[in-house]
Amino acid sequence: MIEVNGKKVEWEKDMTVEKLLKKMNFTFPKIVVRVNGKVIEKSDWQDYPIPDQSVVQAHHLIAGG
Amino acid sequence: MATSIEDMRKSRKVLAGYDYEQAGVEKGYTGKTLYINISDYTIKPKDVTEEMKDIFIGGKGFGLWYLWNGIKPETKWNDPENEIVISSGPIGGITQYPGSGKSLVVTLSPLTKSIMDSNVGGFFGPYLKFSGWDALEIQGKSEKDIVVFIDGDKGRVTIEEVDIDPAASHLVSEQLTELLAENEKDKKNISIVSSGSGGENTNIGILNFSFYDLRRKAARMKQAGRGGIGTVFRDKKIAALAVKFSSLSGRSNNPADPAKVAKTGVKITREINKFDAEQFRMRQIGTANLMTPMNDYDLLPVHNFKYGSHPDAVGISSDTLRDRFTQNMPDGCWVGCALSCCKAVDNFELKTGPYKGDKVLVDGPEYENAAGLGANCGIFDADYVIEANFYCDTYGIDTISTGTLIAFAMECYENGIIDKKITGGLELNFGNADAAMELIHQMGQGKGFGKIAGQGVRRMKQIFAEEYGADPAFLQDIGMENKGLEYSQYQAKESLAQQGGYAMTNKGPQHDEAWLIFMDMVNNQLPTFEKKAEALHYFPMFRTWFGLMGLCKLPWNDIIPEGNSQTESPEKIPEHVQNYIDIFNAVTGKNIDQDEMIRQSERVYNFQRIFNLRLGFGTREHDAAPYRALGPVTEEEYESRIERYDNQLKEDVGIDPSGMSIAEKVKAMRKYREGRYETLIDVVYDRRGWTKNGVPKLEKIKELGIDFPEVVDVVKKNL
Ligand code: SF4
Repeated sequence: MIEVNGKKVEWEKDMTVEKLLKKMNFTFPKIVVRVNGKVIEKSDWQDYPIPDQSVVQAHHLIAGG
Repeated sequence: MATSIEDMRKSRKVLAGYDYEQAGVEKGYTGKTLYINISDYTIKPKDVTEEMKDIFIGGKGFGLWYLWNGIKPETKWNDPENEIVISSGPIGGITQYPGSGKSLVVTLSPLTKSIMDSNVGGFFGPYLKFSGWDALEIQGKSEKDIVVFIDGDKGRVTIEEVDIDPAASHLVSEQLTELLAENEKDKKNISIVSSGSGGENTNIGILNFSFYDLRRKAARMKQAGRGGIGTVFRDKKIAALAVKFSSLSGRSNNPADPAKVAKTGVKITREINKFDAEQFRMRQIGTANLMTPMNDYDLLPVHNFKYGSHPDAVGISSDTLRDRFTQNMPDGCWVGCALSCCKAVDNFELKTGPYKGDKVLVDGPEYENAAGLGANCGIFDADYVIEANFYCDTYGIDTISTGTLIAFAMECYENGIIDKKITGGLELNFGNADAAMELIHQMGQGKGFGKIAGQGVRRMKQIFAEEYGADPAFLQDIGMENKGLEYSQYQAKESLAQQGGYAMTNKGPQHDEAWLIFMDMVNNQLPTFEKKAEALHYFPMFRTWFGLMGLCKLPWNDIIPEGNSQTESPEKIPEHVQNYIDIFNAVTGKNIDQDEMIRQSERVYNFQRIFNLRLGFGTREHDAAPYRALGPVTEEEYESRIERYDNQLKEDVGIDPSGMSIAEKVKAMRKYREGRYETLIDVVYDRRGWTKNGVPKLEKIKELGIDFPEVVDVVKKNL
């Protein structure tokens, strides 16, 4: 189990940032991802592994109205 | 009506005139307000006092202060003493920092019967200031259509009769620009404010503020859209306001520290040039960039806010709209705005209405137009959205209210509350673009069912219940209005903070006070009531500040500086907040910090709340939200997101939904959500320094320095 934006999410084997965002349906282009406090650059999302028990923040920087 | 500009010129008849010597701008202020009473043709200057500058700052603050002094508690929106006040603000008119040309308009609204304010682009506010006036205060009511001309070059103000048809705003702007300009180049020195026939025939009239686009050779328009300001304008029989100022320069606002202004502007302009294409694509798509993400995250209002997405939304997606916009043209609504988000469709051939066959320039559509006129009415057709957008603007009716009220009428029609007999044959099913278009023409022209619809959702609810026997409770649930103003176009069901951001507002559910949906619902940055309340304190106060200054909100967070994600509060965009403080200090020569910035807003925000109280509004009951904004009203809505709602019942409410009927689930969910909303109100009021009934406490107004005797008096009466 991991935590994504404060909510429990099932951990999966070989989970990467990219796979997690896909699973969460987080399609927005401007997301700041932190895995256990560390900001992960977009260019690393494909390979960056997410270990079980991780705390992930995926903050959408959407300006809105 | 005059058939040529020459005829129009000959028809000009001066009813009153006033010559003045320009005071000149000093650190963002001229120190003078232009007062015009169109009942008795008084035209006179008023001094802007230091106290006004300190407490009310400018823009909306000045508007509220003049209106407070100009009307009585019993004044109605259509009484002669109601005012329309237009003011930019001390920063308004600088050309070095993007988004610095806004005007703020304040009046008593025909929709809410209380205070309305609207923030609008176009050249009028800055030109008004550089012509010598920090604000324009209009009172009275004329017997015949008049035009007010402010000639900042010659220092002359006139009230005139002009042979012009005020029905179509795009023509009024074009013709008056032509009338006043000495040549093509001179047109950029002119700005026109007008409404249209919709201002006469509905309660949702808007004001269009023009700005001349030299490359397109067209007078384009931005809208002061919310709350029926155009209805007041036309009720006063103002056909138009016109200002001319020909000496605009980078120094017109005469800042205390021009080098600092320039330096701060260069920094953000570089950011925009570097990052916009990879961030929000404001220069390519404008605010319509939100269409796709809103649909993807179930936040796009569909079918009168029942749902948050639709498979056909691709028909009006960000990219579909981008392909319709003319690219690589100047699209800023004020000089120097590098974000340039005002998109336009050129040479659009109209298929309906009085201008059928004409090829016109359509400003927009922006997100709100496409979401409201399109998705919320179940119409996913870009051509329809563009045409509806054009007609709303030229008739002078608010696209946001129009979208929400047509969606409401459609749901009533589908529920058999109204039928073809009542609508005069219009089959108002969701998705019927022809019927919706016809209804827009009827509203604009004051015909048929348009006469009822154009009065707004609140009045429609009353009419449907009283005259057609509809269930008032159901209408209350699905009628998306609060305080009498129609909701703007975001689905807030899954964001408690946004529910408050909509309904706990001063003027009604417009998202310009707080837009917290992603922070709350997706990012989960506001997990407690206290955090939500903090956001519902900070953001409305911060965002009020734009309206005091003459600023546009977009360059604050629609472009994100490098390193922002590493800051403590990325959602506040701290670097840009500091830019604003730097600019304010550089323009005015004052020395405020972040705390004082928020206090400047708090003063005006609380004053506006108290102004609402003075008019008989502004208490807790007026912050109630229709249940459609909080949760699923119908079984159909519940079933459409059954997995989500069942989970919430289980995990958040602690009820096992298995074995419950849908009706029981809807009821249990409602009890939970309504309870949370009430708790949120308590916590937010407490954070804002208000009583449980939403009245600012005496110690709060004392602390803010707005404890004038008449203000204290109003508060005491409500404690
Ligand atoms: S960002 Fe857009 S709306 Fe704001 S000032 Fe610039 S062009 Fe106008």
